[in-house]
Amino acid sequence: MKPLTQSTTHPKTGLTHQFSERLPVGFTITCISQTSEQLDITLPAREEEGLLLTFIHYKGELQITTGDSREALQQTGPGIGLLSSADKPLRFCSSAPIQFSVVSLFLNRDWINNFMKDNENFKKIEQVLQKEENIVCCRLGRKQLTLLSSIMAYKEDNGSNLLEIQNHALGLLEYSFCCRHRSLSGGNSAETIENEDDLSLIKEVESYISEYYCSDTFTVDSILKKTYTSYHKLNFLFKSIHGMTISEYIRNKRIERSREMIADNAKSISQIAYEIGYSSISNYILAFKKIYQITPGKYKKQIGHMA
Amino acid sequence: MSYVSLENSEPFLKCFEVIAEDKSCIVSDSVLYFGGKTGKGFITVAGIPSGIEVLAVNVSMLTDDLTFSFLPSQSASSYILSFDEIGTPGKENELSLTYPGLPGERFHSSVTITDADYGKLVTYPKERVIRSLIVRVQKSSLDGLIQDFDGGTIRSILQSTSTTSSLSWPITFKYRLLINDFMSEILQHPFRELFTIRNISVLVEYLLQQFFVMDKLVKEGDYLSAQDMFNLTKVEQHLCANYRTEFPGIEKLSRISAMSPTSLKTKFKKYYGETLFSYYQKNKLEHARKLLDNKVPVKVVATEIGYSNPSHFTLAFKKEYGFSPWHYLNPH
Repeated sequence: MKPLTQSTTHPKTGLTHQFSERLPVGFTITCISQTSEQLDITLPAREEEGLLLTFIHYKGELQITTGDSREALQQTGPGIGLLSSADKPLRFCSSAPIQFSVVSLFLNRDWINNFMKDNENFKKIEQVLQKEENIVCCRLGRKQLTLLSSIMAYKEDNGSNLLEIQNHALGLLEYSFCCRHRSLSGGNSAETIENEDDLSLIKEVESYISEYYCSDTFTVDSILKKTYTSYHKLNFLFKSIHGMTISEYIRNKRIERSREMIADNAKSISQIAYEIGYSSISNYILAFKKIYQITPGKYKKQIGHMA
Repeated sequence: MSYVSLENSEPFLKCFEVIAEDKSCIVSDSVLYFGGKTGKGFITVAGIPSGIEVLAVNVSMLTDDLTFSFLPSQSASSYILSFDEIGTPGKENELSLTYPGLPGERFHSSVTITDADYGKLVTYPKERVIRSLIVRVQKSSLDGLIQDFDGGTIRSILQSTSTTSSLSWPITFKYRLLINDFMSEILQHPFRELFTIRNISVLVEYLLQQFFVMDKLVKEGDYLSAQDMFNLTKVEQHLCANYRTEFPGIEKLSRISAMSPTSLKTKFKKYYGETLFSYYQKNKLEHARKLLDNKVPVKVVATEIGYSNPSHFTLAFKKEYGFSPWHYLNPH
């Protein structure tokens, strides 16, 4: 047990639980949980070189500062993981009542060399770490929060299993690296949306739309039923990614498809309208006109002239 | 018969070269793919410099038996743990009642600890779906892992049974789930080493739990005959494979195992530490939990694992884990 430097504790108002263990796999885990009126905890700087992974969850308001800078760290909300180099202390403070828990893993240089020396993906992360003022954030998902709370439930005396804690800790570790890796490797068009759940939701909806948008029974309601989300949430997400509402998105997709079908010149306009899911031709013509500023019939003629 | 021999003191990577020499295989990025006559699949290796090496074998439909031989060696003092899952292709939901070989042989799924000092022979049968993890762990690092438990017990047992120098137990659903996950993700995982060490660590945890159950049984003098053991594994496989349908019922299980219902119940409980139904239920709910991890809605999960009513599922889930599926999805 290493005592941590706690500049101010409020033993009367607060409930503190903390432990620190060296795990068999070779890194050290430190957990603190505290419920109190005020909070001011510092995770001290380590003398050894290495990386510090800190997973934080709290209810209330929290400020996180790194050792030398006075400025508070930008953060997205409760449930975050921080990756920082271990030679800087981390300070958490709050002046309002707070329920706060933190799990921090210290990986020393030997361990990192052992496991990830030759890993290209890790090298990239390390470069970023040097650039971004020694701190990298990621958001925790549901599963990670579950892991976090089961680590917090560990107590030395009730005979829980150290191996179990290690497995949870390794799970968190893997997640935070993978998360960082994903955001570094790009492929993520929506940078404004950080929540992983939302991204996967959008992907699911998009694939659902591209499968069924031509069917005449397809409605936005059927998407909502399928994905168990609210209309407003979905619209908000679509606006921030595609810059249009979900119904506009679907309409664009349909009209785009109809344009291709017109260009094929195999079917009449009315046939096309029914096939892409419009129940009345005039609706279709209006929608087409809205996007291409020309009616489908004229468009067909234009193409015919060109050919 | 394909035959591969491994010098025990050499790293697992060497085995690629040995296998690749005489076959049409492709080795890339420490993964060996082989196709054509020898079967489909891959063998991958993840060496971890802290004394753990992992050889993952994921192959199906070998046209020949594949044999690995670990030669005995005194220089590296280590254990070989192997986690094998061997299934019949295309019949995942059906029970295969005919196995090649005798009961108790390595032709069905099992977990084994071997002292590497005595060497080891692993044979993978042809025409099967094989998922296997072979882990070589140095004694010192294993002792580090199990300091919570009585670290010397495994060693003393292995030494006392020096005739076979290995312990072997039937595989349970936990291993199956983990090995399946491992195989599907290992190839494209960006941090292969981390991923591997996490999975191995979990596997070792399961192994130790099982080990101490078995150890207790042996101490109490509850041996099972090889035939019984074989029959119990058949029941276990049946329970695992049919998690989507309702519980098969004791009569059917007793027919499969060729035991009387009462003796089946008692023996299963002793051997797997669970009653038949709770074993079935746990496997089912683990599958549910995995689906929930992939953000499948609760309603869908319930239907997927064979509940007609979501609230029944919620109740069962809550009984098992102490929180409802909804709370699992929204922990805070």
